[in-house]
Amino acid sequence: MTGPEPDLVDQLRRLLAEVTGRAELAALPAGTPLFGAGAGLDSLAGTLLLRAVHRRYGVDVAAEDLNLDALQSLAALAAFISARRPA
Amino acid sequence: MIKCMVWDIDNTLLDGVYLESAGGQLPPPDAGLVAVARELSGRGILQALASRNPPAAADYVRQVTGLQFAAAECGWGSKAEAIGRIAAGLEISTDAIAFVDDDMIERAEVAAARPDVAVLTPEDAADAPGWPEFSPPVITAEARRRGEMYAARLRRQAEAAAFGGSRDEFLRRAGTRVRIAPATPADVPRLEELAVRTHQLNSAGTALTAAELGALIASPRHVVVTVALTDDFGDDGIVGCAVMERNGTGSWPVPAVMVSCRALGRGVLDALLGWLAAAAARGGAAALSVPCLVTERNVPMRLALTAAGLRAEPGDVAADGRAVFARPLTGPLPELADWVSVPPELP
Repeated sequence: MTGPEPDLVDQLRRLLAEVTGRAELAALPAGTPLFGAGAGLDSLAGTLLLRAVHRRYGVDVAAEDLNLDALQSLAALAAFISARRPA
Repeated sequence: MIKCMVWDIDNTLLDGVYLESAGGQLPPPDAGLVAVARELSGRGILQALASRNPPAAADYVRQVTGLQFAAAECGWGSKAEAIGRIAAGLEISTDAIAFVDDDMIERAEVAAARPDVAVLTPEDAADAPGWPEFSPPVITAEARRRGEMYAARLRRQAEAAAFGGSRDEFLRRAGTRVRIAPATPADVPRLEELAVRTHQLNSAGTALTAAELGALIASPRHVVVTVALTDDFGDDGIVGCAVMERNGTGSWPVPAVMVSCRALGRGVLDALLGWLAAAAARGGAAALSVPCLVTERNVPMRLALTAAGLRAEPGDVAADGRAVFARPLTGPLPELADWVSVPPELP
């Protein structure tokens, strides 16, 4: 699955590399799982990413997604954001 | 050596939250921390503000504390960037800055973006005038020990930022060891202290009392474990605990999981939840359920729960703000990292 906005996935990649300090994540494939055996994020890194997303796009994923499924992959996160982003 | 102390405003220099003032009554200054700021000013350490608040908040803090601020950054952007602007404006490097915030995630964010900044809780700040980095006239042995623990945290933070690999790779390289062990009555004072201080990584959102902890440890129906954390940088001792209730072949409830915010990002929550799932499965449980208060501050707890395969039903958040995260114990369980040591059998 690729997100409806390839640009958005690319912005999220850079945001992820920034909040984690891991430059190699700037090339993470859109569908790779963010946790576990995929990108290997932990709950702290996930939380920092959500804060940065809230600030940049005005979408509060933590408040709207109880199980935080939007953090499955960059593609899932991009789809979640574009569906809710204030116009 | 610290040259500038940067304060978040809410719940640090003010005893309350500026924008949540009830009935037009703004929160009073926090006398203890204002005295700390005044003491540090007297030693030539500059004071500054970085806060998610309107600029009027800085004027109000000046007025009620009588403190002079070398810089004030109030706005809605990132505090790491605000601290960068303060350092540039004062022409000091960020490793001469200490930052005080009551919000764990704000602290984590600044620590991740600027690993050279000394990031402090309000409790740390109250203690900091005794630490060598703040050039006190007299350093006691106890203050030196706490200062050393803090210095170990700063070294770990700087190495983690320079490392660049995955979290697990860093934890392995740092010689991380997580030890889960049955709680004993001797652990009660430390667990009570944790329960009182741990608001953000606390599933239940309430503090267990010493009497309740003692009764749970003595109860054959309950499994109570402590989790200790150490690595090559320093020994943090007991940083968390969990309480699980045996329930035959049904779903075993976990009324409490709590971990100190100092252990955030170091694999402790994952280890604890992974062990709970494995232990309940070995004890015959069909499922594991963890009631968790859903707040904006405990997002790391929710992420760790979902990473361990637990899920809540959307719409299931009860009137008290809790949702029950649960998982069946069939199929593959979360894997425990090889640096985690666990009790040989169910305590």
